Amino acid sequence: MIVKVSNLVKRYGDLIALDHFKLDVAEGEIFGLLGPNGSGKTTAINCILSLLTFDKGEIEVFDKKMTPSSYDLKKDIGVIMQNVAVIEELTVYENIDFFCGLYVPDKEIRKKLVKEAIDFVGLGDFTKFYPKKLSGGLLRRLNIACGIAHKPRLIIMDEPTVAVDPQSRNNILEGIVRLNREGATVIYTSHYMEEVEQICTRIGIMDKGRIVAMGTNEELKGMIRVGEKISIEFLTADPKDYVEFVESMPYIAAVEVQDRTMLIKTERGHNGLSTILTELQTKNIKVGRVYCELPTLNDVFLEITGKELRDGKEK
Amino acid sequence: MFWHNFSYSLKSNVRDKQLIFWTLAFPVILGSLFGLAFSNLSGTDVFDTIQIGIVNTQAYQADTAFQTTLSTASKSDNTASKSDNTASDPLFAVTQYASQEEAAKALTDGNISGYIMEDSTLHLYIRSSGLNQTIMKEFTDWYLQESSAVRSIVTQNPSSASEISGILSKNITYISETKSNTNAPNDMLTYYYALIAMACMYGSFLGMKQVMTVQANQTPTGARIHLAPLNKLKIFASSLCAATLIQYISILILIGYLAFVLKIDFGNQLGYILLASFAGCCTGVSFGAMVGALSKKGEGVKTGIIISLSMLMSFLAGLMVAQVKYEAVKSLPILAYINPANLIADSFYALYYYNTYGRFFTNVGFLFGFSLLFYFIVFLVMRRQNYASL
Repeated sequence: MIVKVSNLVKRYGDLIALDHFKLDVAEGEIFGLLGPNGSGKTTAINCILSLLTFDKGEIEVFDKKMTPSSYDLKKDIGVIMQNVAVIEELTVYENIDFFCGLYVPDKEIRKKLVKEAIDFVGLGDFTKFYPKKLSGGLLRRLNIACGIAHKPRLIIMDEPTVAVDPQSRNNILEGIVRLNREGATVIYTSHYMEEVEQICTRIGIMDKGRIVAMGTNEELKGMIRVGEKISIEFLTADPKDYVEFVESMPYIAAVEVQDRTMLIKTERGHNGLSTILTELQTKNIKVGRVYCELPTLNDVFLEITGKELRDGKEK
Repeated sequence: MFWHNFSYSLKSNVRDKQLIFWTLAFPVILGSLFGLAFSNLSGTDVFDTIQIGIVNTQAYQADTAFQTTLSTASKSDNTASKSDNTASDPLFAVTQYASQEEAAKALTDGNISGYIMEDSTLHLYIRSSGLNQTIMKEFTDWYLQESSAVRSIVTQNPSSASEISGILSKNITYISETKSNTNAPNDMLTYYYALIAMACMYGSFLGMKQVMTVQANQTPTGARIHLAPLNKLKIFASSLCAATLIQYISILILIGYLAFVLKIDFGNQLGYILLASFAGCCTGVSFGAMVGALSKKGEGVKTGIIISLSMLMSFLAGLMVAQVKYEAVKSLPILAYINPANLIADSFYALYYYNTYGRFFTNVGFLFGFSLLFYFIVFLVMRRQNYASL
């Protein structure tokens, strides 16, 4: 295992931030760690990196116990922090060279690595720029370059695409996949379901300090009640009058109405679209636009973690 | 690794405009303002010979003792050697007038500060009050008192006349002034020395920045450095060396500006001046590092603490009012040793005024001692390698 966390407990006073948290990440994975605000994602990451003390549990990285002075392990870890961590008074090139130099003392080797990192994040035209002259997206890319220039075996990314425009986000996601193809194992935390769905080979959903669901994208979708989400536009009748009628059909999990559109969720493993349309036809109801989609990771996330608002601050 | 971090620390600190303003530009600007404010003050202390008139009355012509005394006061004091630069100008320049009317006219015209007319006694005539008039009054009073005393003794014991004459002519003084150095006293220097002390203490900003840069619970950069496969104390040590070097160069530029542009006299003991400057820089940077390590508050609060304490220390070292330095130490003698700004200012003061180095090395020793103490506290705070919370 690249990362193995067993029964990790972390308290902030009376608040239990990590409650017997467990995690296994195998080599070559892009592991997505999802969770609402305050679920303990960043705390878990900081404990794995030995930035934070913890009350109980064990953490192994590269099959060795991780401690603050595990320099032999740290040299193979790259971290992309949630907050941009660069030095304002150094240029793009100097920032990457400085942080890479903390891992790679040899100047010649470092020069090559810095150039590769710059090419990787596409900052070739901005090497002499100071961070404050960069846009938000470019700054994020610089942040990534500073974290990966030394070619780590394990890359930990804590919400690296926060406040980034779609183009830059896409660029970053493509980069992560490329890094993975080049051999790096990635742990990726995010709020953005579509990102995780797009790049992660395995996903863990955290809530209240522990992993509540874990698996591949498809495995997670198979864990929830919803099978299909069907949307039908009514042209000749008020959909509110037919809610009970549709609910009485087999394998229907839930029915809602929005204006002239009926939203229907079927039970897991059952396709109800053709049956519903046939039954509505018998009532002489003409329908307009009809959509049918499989559940998304967002549905999985909301069903597992609930819909109530989370205003707890991530530690 | 040391040089890698050292060189990048140098670059980032030198490019930090705010930092350079406080550590270099601000003291230079303040020094320039001092220069403007003090440029005319030192001239007011120069003593000019007093122009005095004497009415040539019959009583004056008969009073040879007074004539002799006045003549003595009108000569330069050549008893001091020229080498020590203490030969003084005469107290009076005497002009004789044939009548009181002539003397009065000269007084009205401002040619003399006052005149003396002698009949049965001495009469001093002045038109205004001031230093010259006070000196003339003291002089005439002194003469009347001494002559009266001599007359009284001679009346009672005529045989003692020659002995008294000998004693008076010798003008024996039982207290002698010994100068410890060839440098003339100059109160203005206290302000400039306190200014250097303030500039040294402003090196605290550099120290604070180095601590914040490597502390994971204070800056994101600190977290990134913390994750590197290196002991962060080693990284911190190289950053501190860079910070101290920058501060040292800043102080030398400031001293160079004061010495060569504002013509402030620091004496000629360059080696000791460099040593005192270095000790001051070490203390300033380490003090800032300690504040940065101890306070968990943001950069703004830490900056406020540093400015407040630095200014208070500099104030007590005589930055705003020179007399405060002496009054503070008089009221609370320990302040001379626990106020780093006072130790820095006093190091320069001791170099300038004393031929011996006891006081200088005491000050410098205390400064290095404080630096070690501050760094020890920083070490205690920073030695932990992970945090309970970020």
